[in-house]
Amino acid sequence: MHLASLDHMSNDGDSPLHRLQPGIKIWMAAFSVAGVVITGSVPRLAVYLLLLGLLTALSRNPARELLQLAVYPLFFSMLFALLQLQHSWSAALLVVFKAMAAAGTLILLISTTSYVDIFGCLSKYLPPLLMDAFVFTYRALFILLDQLQNLLRSIRLRGGYHPLKLALNLRSSAGMLGVLIIHAFDMSDRMYRIYALRGYRGCVPMSRNAKRPGLSEVIALAFSILILIGMVIPWPL
Amino acid sequence: MSHIHVPDGFIPPAWWVTGWILCAVVLFFLLRRLKGEDIRRRMPFVGVVSALMLITMNVPLGIIPLHLSLAVLCGILAGPALGFLAVFVVVLIMALFGHGGITVVGINTLILGSEAVLGCYIFHLLRRRIRKVSAAAAAVVLALLVSTALMIGVLSATVGAAEILPHDSHEATEGAENGSGEEEHDFWEELREVRYLLFTGWTALLALLSAGILLETLATVLIVQFFNRVRPDLMEGAHALS
Repeated sequence: MHLASLDHMSNDGDSPLHRLQPGIKIWMAAFSVAGVVITGSVPRLAVYLLLLGLLTALSRNPARELLQLAVYPLFFSMLFALLQLQHSWSAALLVVFKAMAAAGTLILLISTTSYVDIFGCLSKYLPPLLMDAFVFTYRALFILLDQLQNLLRSIRLRGGYHPLKLALNLRSSAGMLGVLIIHAFDMSDRMYRIYALRGYRGCVPMSRNAKRPGLSEVIALAFSILILIGMVIPWPL
Repeated sequence: MSHIHVPDGFIPPAWWVTGWILCAVVLFFLLRRLKGEDIRRRMPFVGVVSALMLITMNVPLGIIPLHLSLAVLCGILAGPALGFLAVFVVVLIMALFGHGGITVVGINTLILGSEAVLGCYIFHLLRRRIRKVSAAAAAVVLALLVSTALMIGVLSATVGAAEILPHDSHEATEGAENGSGEEEHDFWEELREVRYLLFTGWTALLALLSAGILLETLATVLIVQFFNRVRPDLMEGAHALS
């Protein structure tokens, strides 16, 4: 799971993109993804992908980790691109470029903006109970991943895993998931009591950046609007 | 299992916009109903269940080009309403990672959420008549059949039934070069071209789907058996129809 490394990148990274306000970055991502989805032009998407590459380099995040994340959308888009090959090469390229552009934009967003900041901004518009679900998911994911690693280690040490014994591995994996779910039950109960002690009444308060957008935010937003206009309007090239 | 990894821009806007609107309507009515101390107490469990689904969905299954989701088990444990909510959280987070487009989050939530909701209802219908393990197995199989049918239906309706079947790209390229790409592809001809391991045609398609359903059922049954041995109170207290 890449969540831990993404969390580290977004919280501990330092670049012009990291320093932009979260709300502005979310709008930038929204405009860019809208442009990607609407356009039907392969050359424009290619240009956008180059820009995305430059922005990713500007973010100073480890390229290897981000490329690993890009493998998923690339792989699945290739499957759908193969279906489009029967029409033309450009139709297939369109599928791949759209997938990579949209996924790359979102990956850039979450690698430069912490999960808490993203959902802190969205908490203005989304119901409190839904935001609580996102916050508790974020918290639980790291705890469970840690427990999962410990359980996997325990299984291997106790001989519960063998590369050639499928039945043994299935039983051990199911037992491991079962233990994880039991821990999850107990953890959720403890979590509720901890939050209730701190005044939780159905809405986890999230801090939001109340600063006015500065010059860099205005420039960044204008840039993303230009991208949207450039992608959508049929300029003669 | 029925999480669609369709990238953005592939499904026509009318479909994914409708998917988002329907998903929002369902969430709106669910969240209006979910009030009170009991719901607040269970919100951390929703987070935990979502985290579990996220972890499970990222486990590769080798030769089987699908992944587990445990959506039915999570629906049984959390209840249909909170199970659906957990599915939305999972699908949105997966979309942020590039697993499935952000535009298809609505459709994915509706399909995967139907697994959680149906699975819960079927389990509670059967648990008083047969053993819990058998009830869980039946719930998984039936819920997966419905959600897989929904997934295939959506993909067929949006991109065409023949388009969603994998076929020989070499033939596709030749067809494109010879200018025969305009011909309508007969679904039955395309189905005959499908290959999975040693199987072809209908057998390949059924083998692929059966493998996914079998694995999900096996995983759920083994976990429920584990609960029965270690913590039977978990299945007794499994939330019904809330």
